[in-house]
Amino acid sequence: MWKWLHPYAKTERTYHLCQRLLPWFSLLGLVVILVATVWGLAFAPMDYQQSEAYRIIYVHVPSAVLSKSLYSAMAIAGFIGLVWQVKTSFMAMIALAPIGATVTFVSLITGAAWGKPMWGTWWEWDARLTSQLILLFLFLGVISLYKAFEDKQQAGKAAGVMAIVGVINLPVIHYSVEWWNTLHQGATIMKFDKPSMPAEMLWPLLLSILGWALVSGAIFLLRMQNEILQREIRRPWVVDLANKNAALRENK
Amino acid sequence: MHFEDFSSFLDMGGYGLYVWLSFGVTALSLLVLWLDALFSKRSLLTQILTEQKRQARIKAATEQSATAEQSATAEKRTNGETT
Repeated sequence: MWKWLHPYAKTERTYHLCQRLLPWFSLLGLVVILVATVWGLAFAPMDYQQSEAYRIIYVHVPSAVLSKSLYSAMAIAGFIGLVWQVKTSFMAMIALAPIGATVTFVSLITGAAWGKPMWGTWWEWDARLTSQLILLFLFLGVISLYKAFEDKQQAGKAAGVMAIVGVINLPVIHYSVEWWNTLHQGATIMKFDKPSMPAEMLWPLLLSILGWALVSGAIFLLRMQNEILQREIRRPWVVDLANKNAALRENK
Repeated sequence: MHFEDFSSFLDMGGYGLYVWLSFGVTALSLLVLWLDALFSKRSLLTQILTEQKRQARIKAATEQSATAEQSATAEKRTNGETT
């Protein structure tokens, strides 16, 4: 793994790799997320119990799934940075954190907007909701801890440790619906059995999860480039890049 | 199409407020996140150029003052010799 990872520890190569991947993730993500949303909002059939309100699922579930995946990715990046002292790995970690925080926030808001008509309350201090709120605080904690240090290598180490410790919350979120009595329903697709959802509802949902992943990827690539530019602000290759960019914009 | 007309699409079977609130907040949050990343990249690239110009100015100024100092000390030395 080290041999494969090593070239990407160089910031210049990583920057150009991000640049190459960026249009694919952006365009594909935008198209997939639009198709999935329109499909879910206007074409998918109605739920016989929840009527049209269930359509919130097409933003609630992708955001919840992504919040956990992004947290895992952030913790893995922090772990690699701590163990192998890879500078770019800490940059990836801190590029992921605000995306994860936003997505977690969306999952909480959409959950509240779904809870009000179905459970009769915007918020309840039950296991699933509370552990998801803790996930948001963990994301915010990692961001603020990173910002608190002037020396960014030191900042990466501290925030990395916090990200790794917070991983304990992920299984708690996942199994909270089984371990405790909760208002929240059990798993629908993330289980070993067949998904308990008809195909006409399931397809747009899976598509929207894919779209969210691609869009998160695109935003991550941009934020990663920004991290690199910020850290390498005086490197010759960065200055060349900025000059080329300025020339390009003047020609337009 | 599942809905008969546009107003029933907006109404969402009476749950319009909740459904559109969810989708609205989601779209807004993702948009802000995306635009923030895009605009910070743009501003960083201009910031790099200003930083480079500043560095060049500092370098030029130190060089200039160094030569000025040198000539001043040289002048002083010649003055000292004549008096």
